Amino acid sequence: MFEQDQEDIVERVIRELRRPASIDRALDARVMSEIARPPARPVTRRPFARIWPWLAAAALLAAAVIARPWSRDTRADAFQFVLIAPQAASVALVGDFNDWDPARAPMHAARDGVWATVIPLAPGRYRYAFLVDGVEWRADPGAPAARDDEFGTPSSVVTVGGRGT
Amino acid sequence: MILTALLLVIAQNPAQDPRYERLDPDTRGRVVAIVDSARAAGLPSEPLVHRALEGALKHATGERIVAAVRRLAGDLSTARDALGSKATPAELEAGVAALRAGATPAVLTRMRDVRRPPVTMALAVLADLVASGVPADSAAAALLVLAPTARDADLVEFRRAVERDIALGAPPAAATSGQLDVASVRVDANARNARPGKP
Repeated sequence: MFEQDQEDIVERVIRELRRPASIDRALDARVMSEIARPPARPVTRRPFARIWPWLAAAALLAAAVIARPWSRDTRADAFQFVLIAPQAASVALVGDFNDWDPARAPMHAARDGVWATVIPLAPGRYRYAFLVDGVEWRADPGAPAARDDEFGTPSSVVTVGGRGT
Repeated sequence: MILTALLLVIAQNPAQDPRYERLDPDTRGRVVAIVDSARAAGLPSEPLVHRALEGALKHATGERIVAAVRRLAGDLSTARDALGSKATPAELEAGVAALRAGATPAVLTRMRDVRRPPVTMALAVLADLVASGVPADSAAAALLVLAPTARDADLVEFRRAVERDIALGAPPAAATSGQLDVASVRVDANARNARPGKP
């Protein structure tokens, strides 16, 4: 009986194998198309590919910070100008740094007739003077005198250095 | 954006610079001609404009303003010849001050050769010392000794010390000589401290 069962199974397997298989007609075309396609480029891992732009940006930033092209001989330091003029009603600081325009640098009166103002100056040599009450010219007693005053009134000079050596 | 456009217009046509309106028409035309000529020669124009504006505010005559601007243009050219084409406007202005104080163009050239740029402060201190009464030769000699290694701050301190001695009654040349010795020692010490490991 056992042998009979085995024969039945074998017979069924044979029948199943002999049954014609239904195959998609387009399968052949798809297979040939895949064979004809050029092989894909192998994917290689490049560990710096992603961080390279960041490294470049960091290098540029570091170079800019070290070189500081924006500050070369152009940085401005704050300078305070002071004049003691107890009788003055107004004092203006005029010079090369403000186009000799009294309206651009009025000085402020503190106590005891002390007039003061603070302005930023980039490196350079500037001629200047105080204009008291709009009519009286005064040099800065605390600064070197401008030796080459060609207009007959006293002026002073202030020099702002660049890099020291 | 408007300011940028305005600056571009002024740069392309300096005669439209509104600052020139402070000059009378005749003076304005002559000053603009000098400034244009200087600019074409590669000289800085702002010092010339500033000199004209200074004259206008001080109610100087047109003739005097034009003469001052023309003279400054000539001195800037001399300073540029002495300091080289790479000199900054600030260096040229300081060079003019030194020339007018009595320094020769050769002194300016020597200063440029012995000192790392900028030489603005060295030339300015030279001019300031002469304004204080120090003979030009003494001032130039002292600055050329200090210039190779002194910092700008050292030069300013040197000038103040000389002016202080003069105010206390010392003859200017003697004050310069005496303070030069002091400054040299200080500058040398600073230079040694700036180079660790050196004796």
